[in-house]
Amino acid sequence: MVNKKQIKELLNESACNHSEQKKSSCDRPKPGATSGGCAFEGAQISLFPFADAVHLVHAPSTCLGASWETRATPSSYDGENNTYLGYCTNVTLNDVIFGGNKKLEDSIEYIIKHKKPKAIFVYETCVTAMIGDDMDNIASRMELKYSIPIVVVHAPGFVGSKNLGSRLAGEAVLDKLVGTKEPNEIHPFGINLIGEYNVTGDMWQYTPILEKIGIKVVSTLAGDGRIESIQTAHRAKLNVIVCAKSLITLCRKMEERFGIPYISVSFYGKRDTSNALRSIVAAFKNEELSKKAEIIIAEEEEALETKLLPYKEVLKGKKAILNTGGNKSWSIASALQDIGIEVVATSINKSTLEDIEIAKQYVPILMKSPANEQAKLIDEHNVDILLAGGRSLYTAIKKKIAFVDVNQEKKVSYGAYGGLENLAKDVCAAVKNPVFSIVGTPAPWDGLHE
Amino acid sequence: MNKPLEINPLKLSQPMGALLAFLGIKNCMPLMHGAQGCASFSKVFFTRHFNDPIAIQTTAVNDITAVIDGGDYSISEAVKNITAKVTPELIGLFTTGLTETKGDDIRGVASILNPQHNIVYVHTPDFEGGLESGYTKTIEAIIEQLVEPQDHIEKKITLIPHVSMTPLEVERVKEQIELFGWSVFALPDISESLDGHLGLKQGALSSNGISVSEIQGLGSSHAVITIGASVRNCGEKLCSKNQNMQHLHFDTIGGLRASDAFYGELISLSHVLRPHASIMRWRKRLQDALLDTHFILGGLKVVLACEPDQMVLFSSILTEAGAKIKAAISSTKSDALDKMPSSHIIIGDLDDAERFLDESTLLITNFHGERLSKKYKTALIMRGFPDYETLGNQLKDDILYQGSTQFLFEVANCVSVHSHHN
Repeated sequence: MVNKKQIKELLNESACNHSEQKKSSCDRPKPGATSGGCAFEGAQISLFPFADAVHLVHAPSTCLGASWETRATPSSYDGENNTYLGYCTNVTLNDVIFGGNKKLEDSIEYIIKHKKPKAIFVYETCVTAMIGDDMDNIASRMELKYSIPIVVVHAPGFVGSKNLGSRLAGEAVLDKLVGTKEPNEIHPFGINLIGEYNVTGDMWQYTPILEKIGIKVVSTLAGDGRIESIQTAHRAKLNVIVCAKSLITLCRKMEERFGIPYISVSFYGKRDTSNALRSIVAAFKNEELSKKAEIIIAEEEEALETKLLPYKEVLKGKKAILNTGGNKSWSIASALQDIGIEVVATSINKSTLEDIEIAKQYVPILMKSPANEQAKLIDEHNVDILLAGGRSLYTAIKKKIAFVDVNQEKKVSYGAYGGLENLAKDVCAAVKNPVFSIVGTPAPWDGLHE
Repeated sequence: MNKPLEINPLKLSQPMGALLAFLGIKNCMPLMHGAQGCASFSKVFFTRHFNDPIAIQTTAVNDITAVIDGGDYSISEAVKNITAKVTPELIGLFTTGLTETKGDDIRGVASILNPQHNIVYVHTPDFEGGLESGYTKTIEAIIEQLVEPQDHIEKKITLIPHVSMTPLEVERVKEQIELFGWSVFALPDISESLDGHLGLKQGALSSNGISVSEIQGLGSSHAVITIGASVRNCGEKLCSKNQNMQHLHFDTIGGLRASDAFYGELISLSHVLRPHASIMRWRKRLQDALLDTHFILGGLKVVLACEPDQMVLFSSILTEAGAKIKAAISSTKSDALDKMPSSHIIIGDLDDAERFLDESTLLITNFHGERLSKKYKTALIMRGFPDYETLGNQLKDDILYQGSTQFLFEVANCVSVHSHHN
């Protein structure tokens, strides 16, 4: 069942910078004025990339029916890739009245028999939490019977936000999987990538570079993840938190339990990618490794600069406004600057205090209420490009400037050096495209009076 | 061992159906009574399907209010916060599995709030029914709670489309009825709200649709036309507001015979001898299309995995050209399934559909079918919710003479291109 003590601890994470001030991301949602996903969604997003495990959602139909096969998180797993499949116990009225224990147990047995997964994650949801199904008991009995890990994730939607759900998923992985297997060999420069989900293959943009330097990725949570490798995560030498801050508790606990230090990095843009690689290498305090890293970083940057030349030509002197949320408010800003764009303003209305602090270092104007501010700023600064969600499209059309939808599900990766070229390509395509001013052309009947 | 779970579910939930119904009402704020995720999932789902912003708010029930609040606090708090920012003409309040499990009295809350705010409430737990029933229950609630009883009738018709009809299909049916001289009101009307038009402002409320005052006046309709078995009862419900109102029901309006039945009824209802010339032209084109495509479609084995009313539409069109429905996988139970011409009618999921794909040439289902069609090398026509892949699916039209004609060509072309590549 839901562990209230654990939730309280997660919400007051001592390693969070903002904990001493205001718990901005951890407040209770306000009825009628809330957007964003629930804890279950957060847990699901964090764990779905484990392709060799089945993800069984113990719920009625909204929870999974609207949420499977929604995210492009590619996997190199050569067995049946469960990332894109949906498993649901389909709780009905009958189960609400008589309990869903039997159905859950049968479902787990069916999955083990027909799908032979490496593990099963069972997701508790609001309804099954309310009816009080004894998921832990069923899971531990099934685990004994079939000798595969069955991990119950206690993150029903109503306990909180997506962010909290990610944390709860992290806790479940830490308690049930990490440290349950010993690796064949322990690599001196082994790392875990935490909070990297390999969306559109972001992770694959930089893992080959890490390998070239001599760093081994022991496990990931959970981009292109495998159950067996996360079980050996305790033998890594360093935890690397990628962008998302939600799994900081997991990293703090791994430091306490296994003595693994952690660092936090971002792989968006040239500067951040190079800094990320340097921070990872620096953590090992190995001179040879650092030297090698510098050589490879220099090579990569040079190759990238050559590739970016034609795009920079187009984007020279262009000004942009960025209206998005969370860490994107600074990570994309930094990437845009790397391709020669002047970022006039960025939105901070959905960012955490920490994100705002970082955003300040990159962008001169921070918009608290972008919907009201951006149109004016476009005029005042002669902005050429608006990067925002679909809601702002009309602002761009009205101002006849280029528009890039940064909130839409990405099709290509913007991560690391390779991704920066993709970003440059997309922004250039938008700048060159006549569509925005054509669409804004007045209709033949506009301005006519009857 | 019977499969105790769903694998790759086809079923969508009742609250999602309720949301779609409320989105066809002008300046409406759909308010989902549940945890924030219920609304967020549904919002993202339809935003990606329609490629347009979707209006919805949540009562954001949390683990504490789930236990100590009977809905009074979270609903009235939500209404307060919504109306502080926008002025909806209607608040569409609907429940979820969570709030039905705790058993909230939404009728009581709505009656307290109603003098001040216009609220329609409906019970739509997601552990019962599916997309169609959630949508239908919502229309019934709207009729019950908003439509005023009448005894006189006017020269107008109410159209009640089923949940799987696209915005363009709703518009087309309205236009066809208008060609017979009627004013037409669709309940709900997504043809102007979810049709993907570039609007001046993308507000927090539903952008267009039937207005509350138009709904209130539907009782004076000369007739109500229901399309799809799932909404048949909605027509009965509306007739109960006026004993002089007629009810015309069609399980489907796809294919030659079903379209004939539709226009035939309209002709006698409207006392005209010949319909508009364009209708007659399209009938001839459909005749020609049936003959042109029958070489490819004759004997073609098809697997359908859809919402029931949409399944009836596709089978109605395709079997006229000689196609065989190898298996019909339905998301939920429905009366519509009784008449399906298939030996395998299954209430199930896409995992069930897989069993028939080895022996079939064509699969018609939502975008989740893409992976299956690759795995089994079948031709694929994407229809239904969700479709995150293809653009413009709000403007697909598979009904009446014109839509059926174009659907036949689309399917035949898809199958023949597919056969060249495999």
